Amino acid sequence: MTFYIIRRLLLLPLTLLGISILVFLMIGLLSPYQRLATFINSPERLKGADIDKLVEFYGLNDPLPLQYGRWLKNIFQGNLGWSYVGKEPVYDALVERFPYTLELALFSIFPILFLGINLGVISAVNHNRPLDHGLRIFSVVGWSFPDFVFGLFILMIFYSVLGWFPPGNLSLWAEEVVKSSAFRSFTGMTTIDALLNGRLDIFWDAFLHLIGPVLTLTYVQFAFILRITRSSMLEVLQKDYVRTARAKGLDERVVINKHARRNALIPVATVSGQTIIGLLAGAVIVETIFNRTGIGSFMSLAAQQLDYASIMGGTLFFGLILVLGNLIVDISYAFIDPRVRLE
Amino acid sequence: MKRYGVFLLAILVLVGGVVFAEVKNPDTYIYLSISEPDTLDPHYAYDTASGEAIGMVYDNLIAYKGESVTEFVPRLSLEVPSLENGLIKDDGKTYVFPLREGVKFHNGNDLTPEDVEYTLERGILTDPYAGPMWMIIEALFDYQTIEDMVEDKLQVAWSDMVNEDGTLKSEEYASKLADFYNQYIDPAIEVEGQNVVFHLVRPFAPFLSILSQNASWSAIMDKETCVSLGLWDGEPDGWWKYHGLKKEESPIYEQAIGTGPFQLVEWDRTQQKLTLTRNDNYWGEQPKIAKAIIWGIDEWSTRRAMLEAGDADQIYTPLQYLEQVKGIPGVKIEEGARITITALHFNWTVEKGSKYLGSGQLDGEGIPPDFFSDVHIRRAFSYAFDYDTFIEQVLQGYGFRVPSVIPKGLLGFSENLPMYDFDLEKAKEEFQQAWNGEVWEKGFKLTLLYNTGNEARQTACEMLKEHIESLNPKFKIEVQGVQWPTYLDAYRQGQLPAFIIGWLADYPDPHNFVFTYFHSKGVYGTTQGQAFLDFARENLDSLVEEAIAETDNEARQKIYEEIQTIAYENALGITFYQPREIYPMRDWVKGWMFNPMRSGEVNWEGVYKEE
Amino acid sequence: MNRETRRIFRRLWSNASAILGFALLIFFVVVAVFAPFIAPPPSGRDPYIMPIVTWSSNPLPPSPEHPFGVAGKRDIFYGVVWGTRTAFRVGIIVTLISTALGLLIGSVAGYFGRLWDEVLMRITDIFMAIPFLVAAMVLTTILGTGLDKVMIAMTAFSWMGPARLIRGNILQVKEEQFVLAAKALGVRDFSIILRHILPNTIFPVLIQASMRMGSLVITAAALSFLGVGAPQGYADWGALLNYARNWMLGGQGEALKYWYMTVFPGLAMVLFVLAWNLVGDTLRDAFDPRLRL
Repeated sequence: MTFYIIRRLLLLPLTLLGISILVFLMIGLLSPYQRLATFINSPERLKGADIDKLVEFYGLNDPLPLQYGRWLKNIFQGNLGWSYVGKEPVYDALVERFPYTLELALFSIFPILFLGINLGVISAVNHNRPLDHGLRIFSVVGWSFPDFVFGLFILMIFYSVLGWFPPGNLSLWAEEVVKSSAFRSFTGMTTIDALLNGRLDIFWDAFLHLIGPVLTLTYVQFAFILRITRSSMLEVLQKDYVRTARAKGLDERVVINKHARRNALIPVATVSGQTIIGLLAGAVIVETIFNRTGIGSFMSLAAQQLDYASIMGGTLFFGLILVLGNLIVDISYAFIDPRVRLE
Repeated sequence: MKRYGVFLLAILVLVGGVVFAEVKNPDTYIYLSISEPDTLDPHYAYDTASGEAIGMVYDNLIAYKGESVTEFVPRLSLEVPSLENGLIKDDGKTYVFPLREGVKFHNGNDLTPEDVEYTLERGILTDPYAGPMWMIIEALFDYQTIEDMVEDKLQVAWSDMVNEDGTLKSEEYASKLADFYNQYIDPAIEVEGQNVVFHLVRPFAPFLSILSQNASWSAIMDKETCVSLGLWDGEPDGWWKYHGLKKEESPIYEQAIGTGPFQLVEWDRTQQKLTLTRNDNYWGEQPKIAKAIIWGIDEWSTRRAMLEAGDADQIYTPLQYLEQVKGIPGVKIEEGARITITALHFNWTVEKGSKYLGSGQLDGEGIPPDFFSDVHIRRAFSYAFDYDTFIEQVLQGYGFRVPSVIPKGLLGFSENLPMYDFDLEKAKEEFQQAWNGEVWEKGFKLTLLYNTGNEARQTACEMLKEHIESLNPKFKIEVQGVQWPTYLDAYRQGQLPAFIIGWLADYPDPHNFVFTYFHSKGVYGTTQGQAFLDFARENLDSLVEEAIAETDNEARQKIYEEIQTIAYENALGITFYQPREIYPMRDWVKGWMFNPMRSGEVNWEGVYKEE
Repeated sequence: MNRETRRIFRRLWSNASAILGFALLIFFVVVAVFAPFIAPPPSGRDPYIMPIVTWSSNPLPPSPEHPFGVAGKRDIFYGVVWGTRTAFRVGIIVTLISTALGLLIGSVAGYFGRLWDEVLMRITDIFMAIPFLVAAMVLTTILGTGLDKVMIAMTAFSWMGPARLIRGNILQVKEEQFVLAAKALGVRDFSIILRHILPNTIFPVLIQASMRMGSLVITAAALSFLGVGAPQGYADWGALLNYARNWMLGGQGEALKYWYMTVFPGLAMVLFVLAWNLVGDTLRDAFDPRLRL
């Protein structure tokens, strides 16, 4: 297993290099004028702009390998470049925004798994009964609405109508406290920092701001977990040991919770890993609608403006999360399921 | 499901009846915008959001008076120069500004006339690409860029003297460039006691508006602070090293230390949020609000919801959402017309190989590259746009027609100039005459591009298409929305047969519009094709130049009317409209005032909140 | 009909959600086929472009003339009807091509193993590591506007799922007796894959593909949200919903004032995805209850 981990880690830089080349090639297919859109990002900016001079100034006319080499050289010096979308260095932009994404992911993953697994088990136990059909349809409906529709719906009900859960990261007063020197930042995640600082009021405020996006993400994403749990559970319920347990006259609840459920959760673990990795990449649309400043909305802005330093930096960052995340999932899978061997 | 619906309805009824009585955040003004500043360096900033922030932190020498764009009040200057008070001299070539005493910057430094001199010289020498400094350079020296001026005076191209990293290609240029500064730049702005004196190479009518408050490029900075932060050191030797840096390389990219009524607290770029507090030591009248927040929130629905909830005092609202902000309890809608137009112009000589010409020939499946060089085609297009319906329905009445590219409110505008009306009969006649009747006989096909995200421009294209195609089944216009990068590419490569683009006044003078669109060196003039450039050089350039050097307003009016008449006769472009904007805000906002030249949308000095 | 077939059919029909799924699918097929009769396009125009019915961009509520109302200057009913064709077209083409691509790459990697496997799987990793929406945005800027360009972008970034799935299955099947036997007999690799391995591994891929048909519609809608989806005015549910995006919070104190903008295209979309999901579930339950996904 150690060998497996080492091999995978050794492949990591290679994968990252591959990612950067692929992204660079894609961007390289654009004409220099198209890429100038990063700097002249709207018709209003054409004022006073000598376009050809700008193309030259930003080196957009240079041969691609030269441009890539420049970028790579900077990377080795630890410089990810300047983000024109974030208006700060790419590294800073990613580091400042990631805690918001991480926080949202942490708060969303529990309801997603809780609902997905429990409703999945219920669905499987009631196989092909009305409850099963109902739950499946309920989950697919959530999954099949584009998340912006559902997100806006949540915003309408809980903010516009009820006034409970405002958009953004924090209320003004709370933000003032958080930015003051008395408040120490440990993780960048406001909820956790608030607890560490012993400020329950700040925690509560940050928590209120999280509910809208969490609700949206939960409803949109739990369907997938439900589906996996359901089919895995169905499979396990037909296994001999479950039948034996039932035949022994064990209470049905014990059979399901003790015997079936535990084994059925093995495949769910893998899929949950994927879901977490997906959440860490940032929820573009949810972040946009609830005005949360995470990685997702940043990357979508970067892509819209073809801000290549931001795109490259963000993609590498995401690649890193993905590769490491998958590795962790694989390793933990080996721990959960003794039959799996890593080679 | 049914019960749920009833529940929802009950909530709606309940909330509908509640009126927010108390003022939220009474001391803080929160404005939701759609973007954040590009930079806080006044000499790089050339966008609305940056100008807005800079205008709050910095003072200029003078400011517009109330809602006027032609009258000024003193600001850092004790008087507004005029011929009457003798501060404009030499037939309009010398301007004298007596500087206010006792003004302090936010960091406690005193304002001196040297600060003014330094600030503007630094701007001129820095002259960033795609920056606003061309205005000052044009006004003082009659060049468009400092590099052009250097090249013309020294007879060596800039790139032949200075490397990309700011070093010189040869040491001999060091003294030449230093001399250039000493000979031309330094004498243009001089300190005489407590006065600052500007010397122009020729009279330039809009000079005062270029210096006025909200023109962020003329905001006054503190020399001592700037030098200590690493900006140009004020010495003639080595000034070229500070020229043409990228905007993020400017040491004051994210800092702002001015004399203005507000101090910058923080520019939170993660949240696109600017926070400012009142400057308690302000020399002038204190602002009534203690804190101002400008916050970029891109999603319209989110902005609207925050206004409705009272968490925002004012929001940026595209006109197409007017219906949604009307009738929100506790919200009022203010209006105002900024000095801007939206117009379509033709490309008389499209680049060969453009994808937007169909077959590239007049065979019914395309158009030849010089299709629009025929005046009949241009007139036909001008007749085929339903101006009134567009303004009535698309703009919901929030706009009006102007004859040519000079907006209402500026010198040179006149109601009496001829305009094209929507008249399909006349359009048909013109099409029949175009290209010796070939167009009518064979038909044509072309593509109109717009950049996605601007609904009014999209609808304008669609409307042209509908009406022109209705004239003759052989006429085909494809309307295509593309991403801005693609549009920029096609625009720059001269591939667009026609382009719709707006212009927002940099300063309230017709020159800013006429030069832009009609001069062969104007930003949009250069993109109308070789045939247009030839036409402009022959018929328009000299008039445009004559008009700006003229100091008598009546004479200028005449020349501008002449230019617009030429534009009409030759159907140079279709000016769709000049818009009126809407400014939805909470009822509790008091003291809000509109000025067409204010780069931001709020007059932060006078505004306050009270039920 | 042999017993096995009857068993499958019995399973299909005893299942209420299966019936719902197939019924919905048939309904959508009918709408797609008869679109020109249900919502006749204006003559001489591209029927996939929703005709403009008003110049004002304000939405209009349902009326006899426009039964689903008007959004973005266009008739919602027309868009929903013709959008059905778009949904099928995008779903089928993208699914077919990406699945075929995935099959090819996955089976080569799985069957030949070693270096092939290593290289192809790393390439797969690289493609998976690029956030789909970002990739699609950059790609559509390169390729230009148009539904075909959107489909290319979607295909280019959705073959990885099937590839990994088929590879995993092949790794399992490869060691089975019948494959080893065929190899020992000297059957060529290509025909081993085609004759022996694919038939034994393809079902999960097909089932997954049927589910993906539905979800592609959602992906297309997300692309519309980011402004890189179907061209303006194209009859597409996602694009219609995107018109609703800026009006969903209502106006003039009525939160649900513009409900029709969301409800009709939203309903079409939910039912379409639901149909494919139920059908996919049913296929899985019927053919192989052991399968996951």
